[in-house]
This record gives sequence, C-alpha cells and structure tokens, in this order.
Amino acid sequence: MMSTSVPVVETRGLVKRYGDQLAVAGVDLVVGPGEIYGLVGPNGAGKTTMMKILATLLSQTAGEAYVTGIPVDADPLEVRRRIGYMPDFYGVYDDLRVWEYLDFFARCYGVPANRRTTMIGELLEIVGLTEKRESYVEALSRGMRQRLCLAHTLVHDPALLILDEPASGLDPRARVEMREILRELRLMGKTILVSSHILPELGEMCTGVAIIDHGRLLRSGSIDDIERSLRATALLRIDLLGDEAAVTAAREWLGTDARIADVLEGVIKSDGAVRIEASFDGAPEAQAELLRTMVEAGHRVVGFSHATSDLEEIFLKVTGQTAEEAAA
Amino acid sequence: MTAAGATLGGTRRSAIREFGSSVVTIMVKELRSRMRGRRAFIVLTVYLAILALITYGVYVVVAPNAGGLAGGFGGFGGQANASALIGQSIFTLLSIFQLILVCFIAPAFTAGQISMEREKQTLDLLISTPMRPGAIVVGKLAAALAFVVLMIVAAIPITAIVLMYGGASVDDIVRQQLVLLATALGLGAIGLFYSALLKRTQAATVLTYITVLGMTLGTTMLFIFWTVVVNQDENGGFGVGPPERAPEQLMYINPMVGMLDVVANTEPGGFGGINQMLAQLRGDAPDFNGGVECQGDVCRPIDQFGNPVDAVIETGSGYWWPRVAITSAILAAILTLAATRLVVPPGMRWALRKPRRPRSLPGASAAGDPPLEGAPAIQELREEPEPER
Repeated sequence: MMSTSVPVVETRGLVKRYGDQLAVAGVDLVVGPGEIYGLVGPNGAGKTTMMKILATLLSQTAGEAYVTGIPVDADPLEVRRRIGYMPDFYGVYDDLRVWEYLDFFARCYGVPANRRTTMIGELLEIVGLTEKRESYVEALSRGMRQRLCLAHTLVHDPALLILDEPASGLDPRARVEMREILRELRLMGKTILVSSHILPELGEMCTGVAIIDHGRLLRSGSIDDIERSLRATALLRIDLLGDEAAVTAAREWLGTDARIADVLEGVIKSDGAVRIEASFDGAPEAQAELLRTMVEAGHRVVGFSHATSDLEEIFLKVTGQTAEEAAA
Repeated sequence: MTAAGATLGGTRRSAIREFGSSVVTIMVKELRSRMRGRRAFIVLTVYLAILALITYGVYVVVAPNAGGLAGGFGGFGGQANASALIGQSIFTLLSIFQLILVCFIAPAFTAGQISMEREKQTLDLLISTPMRPGAIVVGKLAAALAFVVLMIVAAIPITAIVLMYGGASVDDIVRQQLVLLATALGLGAIGLFYSALLKRTQAATVLTYITVLGMTLGTTMLFIFWTVVVNQDENGGFGVGPPERAPEQLMYINPMVGMLDVVANTEPGGFGGINQMLAQLRGDAPDFNGGVECQGDVCRPIDQFGNPVDAVIETGSGYWWPRVAITSAILAAILTLAATRLVVPPGMRWALRKPRRPRSLPGASAAGDPPLEGAPAIQELREEPEPER
C-alpha cells in the first residue's frame, strides 16, 4: 500500500519554549507504522512536552509536527481522532463504574451506541479487567487504573497511542503485565510512542528508541544501531577459581593485553569464585580468542561472559558524551 | 471534499449534532455520578421539607390575624381577602426563600466543575478527546443546572398551594419560575467561569460567592450610596429639585430585585411596601423620603412632607423582572463563552480557531484520506450518526 509510507509521527525542527527555558530544542523524529517507539531521557528532558504537542495539548513554539500526515497545530480535532493519549499524571473519575468510564470516553469520541457495549467488553479483555466491569474505578489498584487508562486510549481504535510513562509507579508484576499488553497492541497493528526513564523496560519491546536530553535528540534508531554507533566496548566478566595470588596473576596477565582497559578489583562471589571485570575493545571473535589464550596460560576460568550493554548503559554513555562535549 | 453548498450545510448540521451529542455525553457522565446514591435524594428531600415548613409556618403566623389585616388594609373585610393575604404571604416568602437558596446552591454546583477536573488531573484526558471545549463547558453547566432545575421544579407543587388560597395566580408562579431559572443559569455560569479561570475549587467557590454577594447586597448598597452622593449639594445637605438617581441598570444584575418585582404583583391592589420600593428604584416615586398614600383604592405618591406629587406611578410589576432575567441570561452566555476559552490549555487557546491550513507532507495523503490501516474504522465512526437512546 502506498499509504504505509506515511510516517505515523513526524516532527521537523520541533521547538517548545517556556519563557526562557527551552524544553524541546529542534527535534526531528520519524516513527513508522506499526512501531513501538521509545522516548528515553531523564526527567525534564522534554519527553512529556513532545508528547503533549503531539497530543494537541500544547502548541509548539516553532517547527512542525504531524500525526499520520496531519499537522497537529492546524487540525487538532482531526489529530485527536487518530491518537489515544495517556498522560504521565492523570486522574480517573472515581465515582464511575469501570464500564461507565470506558462508555463515557467512547461517547466522547463519538463511538456509536450499538458498538460501545461489545467494544468495552473487548477492551476489558485486552487489559485484563473483565471481572472488574461493574466495580467502581475507586476500588481499582494502581496497576488496574493504569490498565483502565490504557483501555480508554483505545476506545476509538486510534492509529497511534501516545503513552507517557505507562509503567511508572507500578510494581514489577504490573510492569510485566503492562509490557505484555503493549506487545499485544503492537500485534494488533497499533503504532505506539512510549516514554520512560526506566530504560531496560523499553529495551525489550521497542523497535526503535530516541534518546532525549535537555530537549535535544541525542540518538535515534533501533537499539542495535545505537549500540553499534557507539562502538560499545564490551564489559567482560571473568570468574576465576584460586587464591588471591592466582587472581592477582590473572589480573596482571589481562593488563598486558593492549585491547583491555581498566581491570577492576576482584569480587568474591557466593560460590567461592572471584569475579573480575574488565572493559575489552573487540568483537566476539576476539573475545573467544582471549578466553582461549587465557585458559592456555593456566588461569582457572569458570565463567566468562560479557555484559550486554543495555539501554541504561547506552543512555548513560550517550548523555555522558554530551556532557563531555558540552564541557569541552 | 467539495465546497458545494449542500455539503457545507451538511457539515454544519453534523457539527451541531456532534456538539449536541458531546453535551449529552458530559451530562450523562455528570448525572451518573451525581445522582447515584442517596445524596441527591437527601438534598432534594431536605430542600422540599424546608419549603414545606416555611409554608406551614407562614400559615400559622398569618392565618389568625389575616381577617383583621385584610379588613384594615383595603377596607374590605371578610374571608376572601383574608385567604388572599395568606396566599400572598406564602408566595412572597417561598419566592424569596427559594431565590436565596438558588443563590447558594447554583454556584456551589458549578464552582468545582472544571477546577475539580484540574485538581484530579482528569482534564487533560477530557481535552484530548475530539469534543469541542464549548461542548464540554456547556455540558458541565447543563449537568450542574439539571439538578438545580429539578429542585426548582419539584417545589412547584408546594408553591401551588397558594392557588388554593388565592392572592397569587398561575401567572405569578410562571414568572417566579422564570426568575428562579434565569438566576440559576446566571449564577451557575459565574461559578463555572471561576472554575475554569482558577486552578483550585476552593478559590473558585470563594470568589463565586463574593461575586454573588456583590450582585445582590453589593449592588443594592452601591445604588443607595450612589444616590445619596449625587443628591448632596456642595454644602453637604440635600439639594432641592428633582432628585437624581444612580443608574438603574445597576439593579438589572440583582436577582433579588427581579424576584421582588414578581412578588410585588401579588400585593393587594398593586400597592404595598415592595411596590413602593421598586417604584423608588425606578424613579417614579418622588424621593426616598416620600411614599404612597392610599385612601381606599386610590393611591397617590407623596413627598417627604406628606404633600401629594403629580408624578404618575405605574402600578403593578413587570418592569424589573424581565430585565433582570434577560441580563442574567446574557451574563450566562458571555461567561460560558469565556469559560470555553479558559478550558483549552494555555498556548492552544486560539489554535482551534486558526483557519485550517491545507498542509501535508510531500508524498503524504491529504488529511481527509485514510492514510493508515487504522484510519478507515475511525472515519466510519464519524460518519455514523449516533442513534438516540
């Protein structure tokens, strides 16, 4: 289809200024159909501001923002019909029943009466609140409210979901549930723009991420791309058997390798082995080679792994680089 | 989309229908939570019980003396006038008391409507729906007033007791209802306006009541003060010649004047304390120290020395209440419009009114075309009219 080439979200040089403060400083972002796109950044990075602009709750100072090709500032009502928005902080109408809550929003979006009942049933099924249909919203737990709010974004079958910190304040179990729901929604063909400051959460499900800090887009693309673009040095974790002397010897041996940067002090693990960590600049083949020579050199290696740089690490690296650039 | 006239008319009609269904949506939601449980039932019961008690109280106080009072007043003794006096007394007290209650209740119901949504952080969810801000505001006002209207209308049977006694007619009751409803609308809109203007419900409520106080007691005091000041000569004494008055428009925003005007119509012979007062407000009575002297059925205005004056007093009511009611309605319209602007988040306040710029991405489909798989379903949603329930 020709129409699939239209990005669901596109911003060009998006700028939002609050007085003197620059909340969003010229962001170019493209999110294609069917993606789960993560906006990552510390608090105050400009994620919420960007999402509010896309949700037509704020107007940008400069630049352009489009949702399914429609400019958000020129036709907000049309944009609202195509998005479901879940703010980072929101309240619910305590005194309504769960089904009434969804029914209200379905009416708000002009969903015809004959479709509302079945649709509410389906939505409750998706977010796992079928049993709570007749409960008052007041009586729902935090996680359930979060899922109810997510359900409310779906009442009008929007193309794009804008979810601002959907997992904030949830316990681990509720987070997993939320993640599962988002995966399911992606399978249903929704494009999802999701923000979080808890990075590993996004790493597992996002097809792309944009790292934002101080209103600027530092990196964007798939997590692998970003990782590659950083030429990430692997952090090796080597578990050794033996006494203190053997460990010191192993550390010295590692120190002679040019590809190895700082070798950290050994830490005694619960199983008696000693773990040393070292950053290693080399591909997996080189890592295998290192392991072979290390074993041949007589070091009693019982564990050899490299810590995959997760989003958190990438993020710290990227924002750290920026801080250095800024200082330079 | 074509710009043909028929299509344009169709769009306008569907826009109106959309607006209407949005208003209904808000009302249904508000009433669902408001009318649920016992609260609404108890409030209404207590309200009606108080009104019934007042009616009974007036009867108990007035009835034993009614014969004498009626006889002494107009020169006609007997049962008929005594009964009318009871009816008129009940009507007067019920009307004034209901108006005071409406002054308290209508703002209380609306002053939290928008600010509460802000406090509970539900406003963003509401604003990010495609409902027009105007529909949200009107829906909120209508929902809040629906209950006030219910209270007003539910009191009609109690008021109708006066029809048994005489002294007030069906016309009087209709006028009383009109003034009550117009007052509820105007004061409700004031509450809603402050609610949209201010972040906190508490602040909105306080300011609303201060405004209501200003409109009732404030205007009256200002009017008197103004009149006294403009009538003083340079020596500090009262000048001679025709007295000047403060602009009577000041009293158009005073709902109490409207209700007193309605009540004045029931005063025997079209004359009495309230009629005199209203005539003075209007400038038809000579001055504040004069009054009306009645001999039998004939009444004449007199000055402060008791000498008859030539000025003609138009008897009967009907001057104030339509003006007060219309002013209240106009006030409601203006404040509702203002609230509509205030509900939209800052920065987007004028965005909805910008002319639509036909902009689209290069290679992107136009706004009207379904650009995505999810979109056709949405389009279908919009085309289908919502069946009435």
